[in-house]
Amino acid sequence: AGEQNPAGGEAWVRATGMSSSTTSGQGDDAPGLVCVVDCVHGMVDALSCVRWNKHQGAVVELSEHGIVVTVEESGCLQAKVYLKTELFAEYDYGAEGRPRFGLSLGLLVDCLNMFTVPGFASPVEIRYPGPDMQLLLRSVGSPDACIHAEIRTRIPDTVAWDYHFEHAGNTPVTFTVKSAILKESIDDLEWPGSSIQIHFHPDPPSVIFKGEGHGDLEIEFSYYANTDLLIAFQCDQELSYRYKYKFLRATTSNVPSSVLKENRGSKVTIGRGGMLKIQHLVSVARLGTQSYHNFAGGAQQPSRIAFIEFFVKPEEED
Amino acid sequence: MELSMSGGALRTFSRCVTCLARIGSDLVFQAYPDKLELHTLNSSRSAFASVSLTRDFFDHFHLPADAYADAAPSSTPLQCSVLLKSVLAVLRTPTSAIDRLNASLPNPQASKLEFVIHCVSGRKKTHRISCSAESDVQTLALDRNGFPSRLAIRPRDLTRLLSNFQSSLQELTVIATEPAARLPGVDDGTGGKAVELLSYIDPTKDDYDSRLHTQLWIDPAEEFLEYEHAGDPVDVTFGVKELKAFLTFCEGCEVDILLFYQKAGEPVLLAPRFGFDDGSSSNFDVTLVLATMLVSQLNDGSVPQQPPTSAHHAEEPRAAAAAPSPVPENVSNHTRIWSELSGLTPKSFEANAENRAQKERNGRANVLNDTSVLPNTNAPCKLPVTYNANYIEQPVQMDHLEEPPG
Repeated sequence: AGEQNPAGGEAWVRATGMSSSTTSGQGDDAPGLVCVVDCVHGMVDALSCVRWNKHQGAVVELSEHGIVVTVEESGCLQAKVYLKTELFAEYDYGAEGRPRFGLSLGLLVDCLNMFTVPGFASPVEIRYPGPDMQLLLRSVGSPDACIHAEIRTRIPDTVAWDYHFEHAGNTPVTFTVKSAILKESIDDLEWPGSSIQIHFHPDPPSVIFKGEGHGDLEIEFSYYANTDLLIAFQCDQELSYRYKYKFLRATTSNVPSSVLKENRGSKVTIGRGGMLKIQHLVSVARLGTQSYHNFAGGAQQPSRIAFIEFFVKPEEED
Repeated sequence: MELSMSGGALRTFSRCVTCLARIGSDLVFQAYPDKLELHTLNSSRSAFASVSLTRDFFDHFHLPADAYADAAPSSTPLQCSVLLKSVLAVLRTPTSAIDRLNASLPNPQASKLEFVIHCVSGRKKTHRISCSAESDVQTLALDRNGFPSRLAIRPRDLTRLLSNFQSSLQELTVIATEPAARLPGVDDGTGGKAVELLSYIDPTKDDYDSRLHTQLWIDPAEEFLEYEHAGDPVDVTFGVKELKAFLTFCEGCEVDILLFYQKAGEPVLLAPRFGFDDGSSSNFDVTLVLATMLVSQLNDGSVPQQPPTSAHHAEEPRAAAAAPSPVPENVSNHTRIWSELSGLTPKSFEANAENRAQKERNGRANVLNDTSVLPNTNAPCKLPVTYNANYIEQPVQMDHLEEPPG
């Protein structure tokens, strides 16, 4: 898919000094995206959720529906953060097609963090592209001071594989459990480590996570054990696949504490071929308000939720 | 073997395992018809900890009848040995999140010990830990009634006393004297305090001079719940790390600590003090046996060249938490000699260091003769591999302190 480069220039990572950014829309002859984030720490939480390594490259895709940030590792693990237009105080999209660019996820998160000075809740305007195809950020809302930032972007690597998630059978094989319990279970599985098997049983309905190492650990989520444990469960066939522990770990290791405190649920699905999909919900609420939306349904406000999706490829069966 | 526990018993079990894990690395399970015993021995073989849990401790306790030739309590137990850190991994789940914990060993030759945790959340976690059925499990049983001396102290009081010592202290000496010997009006410089706690620093180590040496004089009536000591002064030197592990355990279980002792070279025994009837009503018991240094710190024999002066004491880095006044000349022999050792000028220090090193070597020679255990350079006496029955059957004669060899 070709991406249009409205500014007509090239986007490379350069070592020389940057050109100064424009302070307003003047001189910006390239239609692109101008949006305003009013809850920066919520945005940071959502992006940090997919930050399992210190240095990760991300691909950012812009569209009229919102921003999608994709990160991946070794062709086996991929994560996407969906930031829909509803999360932004303003979202002004003028580009043709869907521009894609690459940048360092760590740099983006650390940069956004700079705008979250305690006690100084300033909205941030994000603008793309800048004169050199960079991502421009600046604090808005205060007449006295302004923080500016620019992040170099690059042409993203061609994606080696694009996940096309299909359900295993006629009905999805999936369960939903509290994010805190899923995270704790995956943390527990560090002890056996290495390779974890996930086994779905239709009858009696249960899911078993099993690891074997110098010791064995099996964690069983049984539908009838406790009405609160499995919030949802769907399974019409017996399924069993193995996944590398370190990839499984990445799916919950950076779940923000707001997710755990708000008692949100995470949804685990196994698709065709054993592809594992884990979904989390991170609230990007306006400061001082809470938006409530969970997999069981029932939104109190137009949702201010970022959707996070992890995809993990199964290990090859010998 | 199948057993199940929950609630307070589970918390106690968790504390027992935590305590044992601070002492040794292997945990030996021994299941008898009427109880379960857990043991560990530390790597330098100077500390042996044992936990005994009766049937009543558990919600469910089942042993297959055919595991025993007869049902007598003394028959060969069903046993296995696992790594303590594996058991700690099982107990990583907080006890508040656990509804009940089951443990099972299907048969004596089973290769894995299974723990099943039923969580409050509804999850079921099954841990299977590799175990080895060791044939030569060493156990140690000492009869606390065979010890002539004892003291009882609250954990928080012991914590407070120990806080006066350098936190990195490895060995502690306890000097116990008869409380009745301190007559009012006789100023022996210790203010009527019959017990002394001293930091033990290895004299052969290079940093002897730069380490903090600490002495505490204690009045048993003020600090201890019980104190029994008759006869000559006695000193025992043992490891602090294991003592602290036991202290933390007693603190958690809210019981006081009993210390039974005899003399230098003989092991000391620590046990929880349950009420007034010594644990007969408790469904669990923990004992810690610590080896003590063979060499007594008291009868060093050497007389210093000069009497102590306050100038000397000011030079040495020494902290005394009680009776801070300098030691006057008319003190009891034992206390004075020890104070001399720590308040020495360089010249007389060297002479005494040589003396002590000689005794250390003789001390180690004793260990080699008595047991087949390899000597560890600066360790206290090691517990013998097979402990003889003397301590259970014969009372120890305490007429006088043994003369040190050499």
